[in-house]
Amino acid sequence: MTSFVTLAGVYSTPDLDGERSRDQDLMTTSRALDQFLSSVEKRAFKIAQLGLRNDDDALDAVQDSMMKLVQSYASRAVDEWRPLFYRILANRIRDMQRRRTVRGRIMAWLPVRDAEDDQESDPMAQVPSHDPGPAKRLELDEAIGVLETAVAELPPRQQQAFLLRNFEGLDVGETASAMGCSEGSVKTHYFRALENLRAKLGEVF
Amino acid sequence: MTESFEKRTQEVLEESAGRLDGRTRSRLTQARHAALAQLPNPARNWWRSYVPAGAAAAMAVLAVVIWSGPPSGTLPMAGVSPVEDMELLSDAEAPDFVADGDDLEFYEWAAGEVES
Repeated sequence: MTSFVTLAGVYSTPDLDGERSRDQDLMTTSRALDQFLSSVEKRAFKIAQLGLRNDDDALDAVQDSMMKLVQSYASRAVDEWRPLFYRILANRIRDMQRRRTVRGRIMAWLPVRDAEDDQESDPMAQVPSHDPGPAKRLELDEAIGVLETAVAELPPRQQQAFLLRNFEGLDVGETASAMGCSEGSVKTHYFRALENLRAKLGEVF
Repeated sequence: MTESFEKRTQEVLEESAGRLDGRTRSRLTQARHAALAQLPNPARNWWRSYVPAGAAAAMAVLAVVIWSGPPSGTLPMAGVSPVEDMELLSDAEAPDFVADGDDLEFYEWAAGEVES
């Protein structure tokens, strides 16, 4: 019996215990990442949409940012994910804006094609999310349209500072980390963004 | 004034984000799942955690089998004890088929008579 106990003790190796512990850590990380990504995905999409003014490009930017975060920063502390994610998204949006500028210059030499030709009808696009009632809806529709147009017209850094601070709710330090600049710059960009928006929306808001 | 303006813009943007259509929400969910799929899947190795327990159980069964000695229950011959076998074998009056090879034809004839 002694030999049996000894063998069983030898067989339950530290490697397997360690592997089980790693598996548990992995599952915990996976769940935490899932929660984090689902908590930011809609706002991230809106930020990308306002920066890129194109739904498909915005979805690509968000997906790329999610992939990059999971690939490179999953092991970082959970409270670091938000600024990191928005840093990645901001870089991705900027890259796509630059690429689009270059493509625009090239396309200017080519014959114009109707963009609607490329649109495929998708029944999912017709599904409404929720309906607050016709009058309220109309009022909100108008407010959303006016605000989004004004935000989309802001200079990129002001737009970024405004959306990260006001919409995503990052504090000055996190916004600075996400934008890759100093806290002073964040305050300046945000203040100017508010001034610009108030000048355009003062009467509506 | 500034705070109410900031609050109002925040509410409107939140409302806008909440109104995303089904296609966009579905694609965001797909994007999230695609990103999470990059993590190694711990479920793939679930069986490995049961290996030590399985091995221990197998060894316990083996130990019990070895320690309980040879199987006690060889199938009993129906109603015949080994002592009776010995009596039959040592009975001097029992017919000896091997020794009386000459009478073999007689026994075959007798068997044929019984069957007919």
